[in-house]
Amino acid sequence: MYASTSGMPASRPVMPARLPIAAILLWLGALLASAAPWLNQLDAGAVLSAFWAFNPDNYSSILAHFSWAPRVSIAILIGCGLGLAGAVTQQVLGNPLASPTTLGVEAGGQFGVTVATLFAPGLLAFSPDLVAIAGGLIAIGMVIALTWRLGFSPVTVILAGLVITFFLGALNMAFLLLKGEWLGNLFIWGAGSLVQNNWGPFMELWPRVLVISVLILLLMRPLQVLQLGQSSASSLGARVGLIRALALFLVVLMTATVVSRVGVVAFVGLAAPVLARLLGARTFASRILWSTLMGGGLLLLADTLAHWASTWGDGSLVPTGTTTALIGGPIILLALQGFRNTHHMPGQESNLAGFQPRRRAPLLVSSIVAGLIAITVAVSMGWSPGLDGWSWTPVTQWDDAWVWRGPRLLAAMLAGVALGLAGTLIQRMTGNPMGSPEMLGISGGAALAMVLIVLTGADVGRAGQLGAATLGAAGALGLLILLARKHQFAGNQLLLGGLALYVFMDAGLRLVMASGGTVASQLLNWMYGSTWLVSETEAFGLLGFIVLICGLLALIVRPLTLLPLGDTSASSLGLPVTKARLLLLLLAAVLTASATVVIGPLSFVGLIAPHLARVLGQQTVGRQLIVAGLVGGLLLALADYLSRIVVFPNQLPAGLLAALVGGVYFLWGLSRHGRP
Amino acid sequence: MSAFFEVSSLGVHIGDAAILNDINIEFREGEVTALLGHNGSGKSTLLKVLARQTPPSSGNTSLLGSSFRTTGAREFARTVGYLPQHPPGTDGLTVRELVALGRYPWRGPLGRYNSEDHQFIDQAIHDTGLDHFQHRSVDTLSGGERQRAWIAMLLAQQTRCLLLDEPISALDVKHQVETLRLVHRLAEERELTVIVVLHDVDLAARFCDRLVALKGGRLIADGSPRDIMDSGTLESIYGVPMGVMERAPDQWVSYVH
Repeated sequence: MYASTSGMPASRPVMPARLPIAAILLWLGALLASAAPWLNQLDAGAVLSAFWAFNPDNYSSILAHFSWAPRVSIAILIGCGLGLAGAVTQQVLGNPLASPTTLGVEAGGQFGVTVATLFAPGLLAFSPDLVAIAGGLIAIGMVIALTWRLGFSPVTVILAGLVITFFLGALNMAFLLLKGEWLGNLFIWGAGSLVQNNWGPFMELWPRVLVISVLILLLMRPLQVLQLGQSSASSLGARVGLIRALALFLVVLMTATVVSRVGVVAFVGLAAPVLARLLGARTFASRILWSTLMGGGLLLLADTLAHWASTWGDGSLVPTGTTTALIGGPIILLALQGFRNTHHMPGQESNLAGFQPRRRAPLLVSSIVAGLIAITVAVSMGWSPGLDGWSWTPVTQWDDAWVWRGPRLLAAMLAGVALGLAGTLIQRMTGNPMGSPEMLGISGGAALAMVLIVLTGADVGRAGQLGAATLGAAGALGLLILLARKHQFAGNQLLLGGLALYVFMDAGLRLVMASGGTVASQLLNWMYGSTWLVSETEAFGLLGFIVLICGLLALIVRPLTLLPLGDTSASSLGLPVTKARLLLLLLAAVLTASATVVIGPLSFVGLIAPHLARVLGQQTVGRQLIVAGLVGGLLLALADYLSRIVVFPNQLPAGLLAALVGGVYFLWGLSRHGRP
Repeated sequence: MSAFFEVSSLGVHIGDAAILNDINIEFREGEVTALLGHNGSGKSTLLKVLARQTPPSSGNTSLLGSSFRTTGAREFARTVGYLPQHPPGTDGLTVRELVALGRYPWRGPLGRYNSEDHQFIDQAIHDTGLDHFQHRSVDTLSGGERQRAWIAMLLAQQTRCLLLDEPISALDVKHQVETLRLVHRLAEERELTVIVVLHDVDLAARFCDRLVALKGGRLIADGSPRDIMDSGTLESIYGVPMGVMERAPDQWVSYVH
């Protein structure tokens, strides 16, 4: 009755042999690499027996039993746990990039522990799990609240997770700057160190991991049904909401249990399932199995690398979290290559909430914002706290005050304008309200260059730093262009490529932070956007540059309107799509780089300004650009002023302040996005 | 024949907009019903209410005499199967694995699949003519084959009722006819109740026992194909002047003037 396509294999698909081979190679390699230093001192049998016994007369044997063996065991245990958690997260959200790291759960756990360390150390002694779980739940709750109305699309969820991670990171940093003396250890801990000196932590951890794993396995079949999408799954009688909530709760439990003991071990939960999938684990059951195994092997390998790096280096500790993050970047890039279509993925529903745009006159809105900027400038120049209370600086004396207050204010404002423009470009290009230069990894590229300079200890001065950061941004851009060319510079791939770059930057930063010392504080100041070092020439140079770019922007308003209609429509209307994308990308990158050297990579302005412009009723591209630029300028001018006065006579970095305030606005704003 | 679904004074509102208004209708057991109407007439929404995918804003719906509110999720899924308009990608599942998921309402999260389940799965695959494809990945199938794989999943669910939302809108004529013929044959063999949203009124008249038309969220026509396939009725449903020819007994051709 049916015309069957003949010649099709009627046999069952078999599991590709490369899967077990890769797993075995990974485990063997990691175990051998880990055991190698010990094999010089002990014979193979003794090394193996170090897991359960030791010879009290042999120092090496004692060391192996109490330091090496528990470290290996805990690495495998945690790796397996995180691999399992990652596989489940991907299934629950139908999202091949979801993981405890990318959803902000790890950052949340870390945040919980930081807060507890500072304000309720007693709680930490009682149970570190509790605070970490609370933090993880808060983080994932925020991610879900953010993406609820945006339809849980995979890229949006990941970006929201990233925003939350940044935000909690900024909060952590604010605590650090204000109460630094308490948090020294948190850095090493926060970067994920697996160093052990007895079997205690392992013994404490394994029953918990086991229980959570068993609970997760009980949810296996309902999770499998989720693969069919929400409506089909629920018409099969699965309670989709309940299953999702339960599974995510278990994931948070698993992650937080791990985080509270060894700190953030980033990206194992992402890398393991991605690897398993790439190697051909097809069904959910096999993905769970292999990603658990891969996780264990991967973390052991990463930990061994970290251990070697610590030994070979100058004795400073290299936390395992650093090496896992270094592995994480390439893995995301690998996963990217596997994507055909990020717009529609399994489990994704197409019921996007309608956003009713309200329009307002652009002239009115922009003049109001411009007026606010003028007021901010006036107040910032004039009204300030002194040694004997608040006072107005008379206008006649502004000439003198200019040297101190002017350049930084101007630079901050211009950086805000640049970020606002870049953010609008990127959001329009990618069609994703979560897109922004911070997310594109261009800021990350600039930051990485700075990190490298600090690491090598070269004293290149401010100008050298500027040059290096620009180079870094350009490098990141180049890499992005290479990556994205395959996908014709399509939006979501670009964002994900940026995510991978961010991961690299993150790894470098962790390394610097963990090594501590003066370099770290130097870097911190720039990272979180200290504006107080900007000179007058730099500020004016930036001004000229931004004016130039604004002229160019007039050319691209119309292409930018066409691009979101889709490549086919845009090119059939006569737009050279690839060229237009390339030009837009270049503009966005240059804008971002110029802003990043001033304000650091982590302000949310590029994310918020375009969003605010829409809320203010500017729906067309040209108007949104203008208002977003103005709003960005206003935000950072305000942040710069506040950073001067909030903890007077000390200073907070303006970028940090912007990130904190902006983060709060963003969470609030997006969660009501689309509410009728 | 008893009432399978009973819908009384049903209303669905989203914000201020009324999608469905005061719908009263019964669907009888063992009957193949087509829901007709132009885009936005509320037919998909009515189907979603029947599938319990959309909660009604007002009114009452009952299945076999017991209200929707008192039926458990899996119990409901053992009686009613629903195929959404755009089934998502299946991420590497093979046809057989997809069909096997249809047994979930019967076995739940932990129950083991026994030989009876495998028999139902085999039967469903056979009935939809997918024997050759059962170990192929669903994503690699053509549109028509994929549609059949999803219908096979619904069959393995062993429900007494199928709710299909535009199952043929993405298919060519040949596959449209094949799919509807399959549904019709299965309905006869297994005495299934089928409610299907269709755009093609001629195919609906050809393969369904009863045609129900909605317009602007209200019920405007309900009857056998012979009652509905009339130029006046069709014109009131679609809002364009239409004519109908009866080519052979029970075979109509409609056309637009």
